[in-house]
Amino acid sequence: MSLDLNFVFRVLVFPGFAFILLFTMFCDWVERKIEARMQNRMGPIYTGPVGVLQPLADFIKLLTKEDIVPFNAKNFVFRFAPIVSLSIFVFSFAFLPIDGASVVSGSNFEGDLILVLTLVSIANFLLFLSGWSSTNPYSAIGATRVLTQLLGYDIPLFILALAPAFLAGSLNIAAIANKQYVPFAFLIPWTFALFIINLQAELEKDPFDVPHAETEIVAGYETEYTGRRLAFLKLAKDVQMVLGAAIAVELFLGGPYGPIFYGLSAVWYTLWFVLKLLIVVVVTEYLTCIFARLRIDQVLVVNWKLLLPLALLSLAVTVGVGLWLNPL
Amino acid sequence: MASADKILKALSDSLGKRIIQTRTLQPGKSYIQVQTGAHKDAVRIVLQEDNEAGVSAITGVDLGETIELMYHIRTCDTIITIGAEVPKKDAKIESITDIFPGANFHEREVSDLFGVTFEGHPNPKRLILPEDWPENVFPLRKEVSVANIPSKIGNFGVSKDEKHVSSEERLVNIVLGPQHPALIEPEKFSLRVDGEIVRGVEPRIGYVHRGIEKAAESRTYLQDIYLVERICGICNACHAACFCQTVEAIMGVSVPPRARYLRTIILELNRIHSHMLLLGHAGLEIGYETLFHYMWRDRELIMDIMEALTGNRVIASFITIGGVRRDLKEEDVPKIKAELTKLKERLSFYKNLFESDSTLKMRTRNVGVLSKQDALKLGVVGPVARGSGVNMDVRRDEPYAAYNEIPFNVITYDEGDSWARLMVRLDEVGESVNIIQYALDHLPTGPYRVRVPRTVPTGEAIGRVEAPRGELFYYVKSNGTAYPERVKVRTPTFANILSFVHIAEGGNVADVPASFVSLDPCFSCTDR
Amino acid sequence: MKVKREMAKLSPILREVISQVFKKPATRRYPEVKPKVPAGLRGRQIFDITLCISCGLCARDCPAKAIEMVDVEGKMRPLFHLDRCIFCYQCAESCPRNAIKSSEIFELASTNKSDLVVKPKENSVSGGSQ
Repeated sequence: MSLDLNFVFRVLVFPGFAFILLFTMFCDWVERKIEARMQNRMGPIYTGPVGVLQPLADFIKLLTKEDIVPFNAKNFVFRFAPIVSLSIFVFSFAFLPIDGASVVSGSNFEGDLILVLTLVSIANFLLFLSGWSSTNPYSAIGATRVLTQLLGYDIPLFILALAPAFLAGSLNIAAIANKQYVPFAFLIPWTFALFIINLQAELEKDPFDVPHAETEIVAGYETEYTGRRLAFLKLAKDVQMVLGAAIAVELFLGGPYGPIFYGLSAVWYTLWFVLKLLIVVVVTEYLTCIFARLRIDQVLVVNWKLLLPLALLSLAVTVGVGLWLNPL
Repeated sequence: MASADKILKALSDSLGKRIIQTRTLQPGKSYIQVQTGAHKDAVRIVLQEDNEAGVSAITGVDLGETIELMYHIRTCDTIITIGAEVPKKDAKIESITDIFPGANFHEREVSDLFGVTFEGHPNPKRLILPEDWPENVFPLRKEVSVANIPSKIGNFGVSKDEKHVSSEERLVNIVLGPQHPALIEPEKFSLRVDGEIVRGVEPRIGYVHRGIEKAAESRTYLQDIYLVERICGICNACHAACFCQTVEAIMGVSVPPRARYLRTIILELNRIHSHMLLLGHAGLEIGYETLFHYMWRDRELIMDIMEALTGNRVIASFITIGGVRRDLKEEDVPKIKAELTKLKERLSFYKNLFESDSTLKMRTRNVGVLSKQDALKLGVVGPVARGSGVNMDVRRDEPYAAYNEIPFNVITYDEGDSWARLMVRLDEVGESVNIIQYALDHLPTGPYRVRVPRTVPTGEAIGRVEAPRGELFYYVKSNGTAYPERVKVRTPTFANILSFVHIAEGGNVADVPASFVSLDPCFSCTDR
Repeated sequence: MKVKREMAKLSPILREVISQVFKKPATRRYPEVKPKVPAGLRGRQIFDITLCISCGLCARDCPAKAIEMVDVEGKMRPLFHLDRCIFCYQCAESCPRNAIKSSEIFELASTNKSDLVVKPKENSVSGGSQ
């Protein structure tokens, strides 16, 4: 009985569902504030102190709006794609150690890195389906661009994610995070930089913003969504961002493991995790602010001619570094 | 080098008897009325004599039994007007689009508003009025009054002459507008797309047509200043200046020197704020939001100066017939100069940015290229022409206000792509800051306004001003009362919009917003 | 050497964005911080009834037909309809006695239509609407 309660608490409240959603909204606020400050303006200021409750207010506002399903849209996929996508993103968090142990303790296994990356790809594909089932020309163009971009950039993502796995000697995310006495970002900085650039493309931020380029295709695959479904779609995208940053933190920055000063280790681990994740968020936001948006053919050129060869090269160099470090 | 006298002589030599009369509208601007069939030859002769000439506007005037068509040709730093009359009952005339393609939209507008048929026009569809406007109600004819213009128009269905796409062509019709986040004002552009390449563009303008030219005929000259100011919010001072200049030319009134310098200052402030607006907007179109926010934050310096000078941030209401309405106080001058110095420092940052930022150059270099010959044939004006190497600027060619006493440079770039057009505007901001500083240093003392009578003697005149988007052209005809007989406005975007068809064809769909925004379209101006 | 040349051509936006984070935002917190407007702002009209001579030039010249001459105690006085007014102040220029002046009140939005008229009453030195 008491084991069940612990399990329920961990899955639903902390570090599970409720924590992930609230943390996502917090990261969204951080993103908007940082972007605003970089552009010399204020960002959210009215809702809550310093505007912290603004993402929550936006979510609640969308829930109260009218929910319109277009006549020609493929009903089942249109209705469920955002929700399934959100569930898969949240589910992927189960394998990431947040407070020193993963959400469902003992759920880590060898190879769960591959599982998490596959789940991310499936959820991205569902975002494509949500645009495709809208049967709106703008959504269709946005959806095809999403697919082209995400399919293309998944390959370097896998290759770059293998580098820390090789250094740690295991495909278990918790084990990779645990083995980083020195975070891998300092040992193999080139891989970390390429991973961050790849993350920009996965998260569809400038300069890889082309799937929802507002000035060309209205809103891309989000065009026909309103009300509750739009709320879930936006939440799915925000969780995607936090998940991407969390994977980067686990693989390269040492996960939640850091020095403990006194008291509960779980609290300190969570604090380190949050801090490192916010650093990744700020870095990605900085990259968003300094670039314009590339055209779709330029995005493909960057992928196939630049990122993929560099990813392969960095993997080769990492293998070399790993073999040099191993005797230590 | 052709000169106006040589052209007039060539015209009288080759046309001989077909010239009905010659008169002078204003010093330096002649008007040659020819027989109806001879207008095309006359236009051809002028275009051959000067290969940088272009048809600036085509005006229609209702003279009762006949409609007078005036072809205003911009050549040798002045305007030569060729006139031809057609009877109202049988209003047909030959089109000149085969010798000057840029006259396409001008002729369609005259045919919409006056009912003149242009034979040989490649695309004689409606331009300014909506699709289901009744067939023979021509608003600008004198017998159609505001009261009997139909107030309820029928169902707005799809236009009957939309071409169907056949399946062999594999072309998809993408409609940009009328409501679209890329456009600030509503217009419709149907793009025919094959994969990612644009094969054809069909523009449809007229969504913001308010009938300003008709409305100007039922208001006094004084009220008309405020009416034409509101044709466009961004270049409002230029419209007011051009109208007032034209009316002053009819009256033969000359404006005091202090007023001329103050007009120059407000016109250049208008130019700076318009260019900065566009550069920020260009950033937004290509996804560079940071540039947009920085540029508009620096634009606020200019808005504050305008508020202190004229009492309002955007619509200046500063220029009136006979001078300007307010004076600039001596103690405000150092403050304005300090703000302008701050702006100049920021400009060096933007110049550095535009020349070295890689993603910005990837989006705008070699995008939407317009060659010099095409620019001359299509009759484009302003930074669009100067970005393709055409050296034209009304401030230097036919100086008005105080431009003949202030030294400045005309900026041209030769590349002809979107980047060149944006750079022209950025450099012009720097030039404008210099002009304002010079004008503030050399501001003459004296009165800033002369009182003019309310009725204007009979006559007609042409005025031209270099608005931020190009050459703004006004033709005013008065009949001796306090109400004008005809006010014709040809705005720069109206002349430039045809070049969009040209630069979008053959390029990527994804390049359409970037090349479109570099034309700086202002649809309120286009549609009036 | 080549790398250095490439670095020198790096966009200035990289450093600018970071330095902006530490500067004061350019946004004004509007309802709490009001902007300082210059002296000649064309705001709400102030009408001085003691100077008016009932000539009606203001109503005749108004481009937006926003001035209506109404009967106040036997004489015709102007009533300003602010919802039609375009704030050009041609009325102030046409008035031979300078009875119309501008004020610095620009916050004219209101939920009450009766706030949008400037009546020519004796003791109405206009207050702006909130």
